[in-house]
Amino acid sequence: MSEEIVFDCLHAEIVNYCLNNSKDQNDLGTLEYIGFTTGYRLIERLTRDVGRFKDELETMKFICTDFWTLIYKKQVDNLRTNNYGMYVVQDKAFRFLTRISPGSKQLEQAPKFVAFTCGLVRGALSNLGINSTVTAEVQTIPACRFHIEVNRDGHHILFSPFAKLAQRPLFVRQLRLQRIWICVYTQCRLWTY
Amino acid sequence: MAFCIAVIGKDNAPLYLATSDVERELDLQYHVHAALDVVEEKCVIGKGAPESKELYLGQLFSTENHKIYGFVTNSKIKFIVVIDSSNIALRENEVRAIFRNLHMLYTDAVCNPFYIPGEQLTFKKFDRAVQKLMSGNV
Amino acid sequence: MSRQASRLDAKKVNSEFLTLTYGALVTQMLRDFENVDDVNKQLERIGYNMGMRLIEDFLARTSAPRCLEMRETADRIQQAFRIYLNVQPTISNWSAASDEFSLLFDTNPLTEFVELPSDLSNLRYSAILSGCIRGALEMVQLEVQSWFVQDQLKGDNVTELRVKFVRRLEEAIPAGED
Repeated sequence: MSEEIVFDCLHAEIVNYCLNNSKDQNDLGTLEYIGFTTGYRLIERLTRDVGRFKDELETMKFICTDFWTLIYKKQVDNLRTNNYGMYVVQDKAFRFLTRISPGSKQLEQAPKFVAFTCGLVRGALSNLGINSTVTAEVQTIPACRFHIEVNRDGHHILFSPFAKLAQRPLFVRQLRLQRIWICVYTQCRLWTY
Repeated sequence: MAFCIAVIGKDNAPLYLATSDVERELDLQYHVHAALDVVEEKCVIGKGAPESKELYLGQLFSTENHKIYGFVTNSKIKFIVVIDSSNIALRENEVRAIFRNLHMLYTDAVCNPFYIPGEQLTFKKFDRAVQKLMSGNV
Repeated sequence: MSRQASRLDAKKVNSEFLTLTYGALVTQMLRDFENVDDVNKQLERIGYNMGMRLIEDFLARTSAPRCLEMRETADRIQQAFRIYLNVQPTISNWSAASDEFSLLFDTNPLTEFVELPSDLSNLRYSAILSGCIRGALEMVQLEVQSWFVQDQLKGDNVTELRVKFVRRLEEAIPAGED
């Protein structure tokens, strides 16, 4: 329990930081991205001792039940799919909304408390090979419904999720071609492309 | 004695490769490369079969001089280990243990916030640990 | 599937979730600010804000009485680290006047997976911790300074966080910055 309050405080600070720091107060992109990288890395650990996933449904089940329970300390209240790549997760008392008093004024504030989680789920799925769009819908605080739309065309993407990050000057990124390596061996480099 | 550990990314680009024998590095890399096709095959054919749930794929193939083993994480990162056929000290269980350790090291490396997934693994901590894993088994 | 996942230690997952989220925030800040010093300041500030909120929880949880001297305060800080981060720092290196001490960490959960790139040697990755201490103590009318003396991320054997008493604040002064 005690770590949870630390996380809740950190989450609140991250929300403030991201919104104060962006030019547009409604820009939740950074917040979503912080969630994305967290989810991407975290799922690597959480699936370490789990058997291979058979298909998309099995992966989705893992994310919406096991992963959710581990992170949010409660099970989702409802999980549905239309079997065409659309999944809906319903949480009647979403952790980051439980501390907010219900009301229409507060409802306007709701998106900033769910953006991190949208990114978290998208990041976890992305690392497991599922390219998706995650959105959230809050009608009455603290209930929340997450819509996960699987993008089935982009199945074999070359790390486009991190490309956004790579374009920024802090990191130098190399263009990498698929499987054209071990062609030349040089003393100074292990592989060439 | 030759020994090679490779980490291959989702897009089959090499993320990390370590060999105990620099002289034969090219040869070993060639085996790693060839192993990727077998890994791909195994992952597709094994679909739905109960034994395919395991991340460890077992021996992929062998040549006159080498044995090649494979492992695929849930995030589609491939680990390939090449060992000498003459190395009888390494049995199935030892190979499994190598993969388990390697998997642990890899997940820790991914959790380094300064590592960008898909980039080459150049971090000292990871490299040192893999080298240690290798020298402990040669 | 679910059976396997439930074997995961919930406490460990909690702490890793925190560690990874914090890491994502730090790297985001490094992209947002050109100057690493600005990142250090921001992290400290976030810690300060968190400290002000966490102290409420700490007081409610422990129903600790008011500290009369710095040695008591040091014990409370140690206790807080145990409760909130599950680490037990050692208190040492008291100054002669007993107004300054160090917290020594063998392990730091925030930096569990971190390896600093060489060009970021002036980044105070865990600045949030010093901020937290400053924020929390300010809420109980103690003004302190807090800074890192040693850091395992920079190759030191331990992580040493120094805390120095500055003055006792008047009750009337509202806590908070800006």
